[in-house]
Amino acid sequence: MKKYYLSKIVLTLLFFGTFFQSVQAQTAAKEAVVKVEGEVLKPLSLSLSDFAKLKHVDATMKSREGVLQQYSGVPIFDLLQLAGVTVGKELKGENLTKYMLVRSSDGYEVVFSLAELDPSFTNRVIILADSKDGKPLTDGVGPFRLVVPDENKPARSALEVTNLIIRFAKD
Amino acid sequence: MQIESHYKKLTLLFVFVASLILVAATNADPVYTDPYKLEYPDYFGNRISIPGNNPTTKQGVYLGRMLFYETKLSSSKTISCASCHQQKLAFTDGKAFSSGINNVPTKRNSMSLANLLWVRNFFWDGRAKGLEAQAIIPLNDAHEMGAYLDKAVKDLQKTKNYPALFNDAFGSPDVTKDRIAMAIAQFERTLISANSPYDKYLRGEYKPTNEELNGMEMFMNSAEANKNIRGASCAQCHGTPKIYMELFHNNGLDSIPKDLGRESLTGMANDRGRFRVVTLRNIELTAPYMHDGRFKNLEEVLDHYNEHILPSKSLSVTLQNRPNDVGGKSLGLTATEKANIISFLKMLTDSTFVNNPKFSNPHIKQK
Repeated sequence: MKKYYLSKIVLTLLFFGTFFQSVQAQTAAKEAVVKVEGEVLKPLSLSLSDFAKLKHVDATMKSREGVLQQYSGVPIFDLLQLAGVTVGKELKGENLTKYMLVRSSDGYEVVFSLAELDPSFTNRVIILADSKDGKPLTDGVGPFRLVVPDENKPARSALEVTNLIIRFAKD
Repeated sequence: MQIESHYKKLTLLFVFVASLILVAATNADPVYTDPYKLEYPDYFGNRISIPGNNPTTKQGVYLGRMLFYETKLSSSKTISCASCHQQKLAFTDGKAFSSGINNVPTKRNSMSLANLLWVRNFFWDGRAKGLEAQAIIPLNDAHEMGAYLDKAVKDLQKTKNYPALFNDAFGSPDVTKDRIAMAIAQFERTLISANSPYDKYLRGEYKPTNEELNGMEMFMNSAEANKNIRGASCAQCHGTPKIYMELFHNNGLDSIPKDLGRESLTGMANDRGRFRVVTLRNIELTAPYMHDGRFKNLEEVLDHYNEHILPSKSLSVTLQNRPNDVGGKSLGLTATEKANIISFLKMLTDSTFVNNPKFSNPHIKQK
């Protein structure tokens, strides 16, 4: 009898174990990534853990309410260099007509010219941030957001960034 | 000798006539030579989507219009695109969920078809890239039109009129699935709504009432309570003169949504309950509202945004912390402000669009 009950308990546990595992598998969300693509030599797809390995710098920007906030992230310039975008010495001639389209997961889009992102043209460092005040970015903001210092409106500091797309401005 | 030269002459004549026929045939020009001029105001901008392989032509648009209203595309021969997209309702059907071929309700509310030329990702969750890809989906859906497309291709091929119409539009009489979708897409691109009182106001041809003007200001402004600036922040997502921006947001309808929205497509948790931010053009005509048609009228919609936003992890940040009163927890619009916003929304009703004979059923002869 004892054996019978024991096997019944084991079977029940097994059943619920597999059941919950499958439920968990169904609800497990995909990992967020940010992609660098378009006119690049090496398209990138970076997860939060890939991103954490890159050299980080700090950047500050004002919130909509005018409060100064400190973020940490990777300069866009570094990401462009990693992807083999024509920055630095190559940013001349027709390459000056290239732009970066930033796309967020909700479809929001903004653009920057490559020269706005290159230290040989500007001292302003625009970063793709993955933390604020030492903590991961909150829901609706992260996991990646753009931080554009010294802009009067925060509209280009896009939230929930998923794609950095490099293109030529045509006609 | 004479006979031989006679033959030579005949052969030469034959070659000449044959080459003439060949030249005439290769120069046959009904295909792609009659471009359809898509007319829209400059303030709509030119970020439009027309694939290179499907230019908009008069012949293609006419065929598309015939197909849009064609019940032969459904297995019961009773349903066409126009069943759920009726012109008089700005191409919606007035129902929360539409009933297709077997009366199984659709999963989501029928969307208005206006100014699709500026849309890049279609459906409530943006799953179809481009109108051609969109058009195929309801045609192939078991519940909507009875997944009849393959058979409809054969049926249309046997009709008297369609092969000629396909020939005019695409250069050969072959009816194919792709051509059906391409023609419908061409017709849908022509559905431009740009003659509402709001358009007339933008062109300096209409003087809005005080209620409309106040509603417009509330619609366009974002609240800044500490600066005493009142606003409803609608234009954050429904901005630009098109009153449309291609965004997908969770607008706080549910904390735990039954319909996962864009998450079902992307698998991303931050897409939970996210749906298209729709155009508000002709919004007065397109009740009931939201992806599940839960709100019967615009008053209920305004009440939702004003006081019933439900929190969740994926709730749009643009719907959080925008109070009109210092320390307020909700938007805090007054009853008058809500009524004024609705007055403005009614300025977006375009009677020219819903009565335009170019968009009407071509199978019914105009009296």
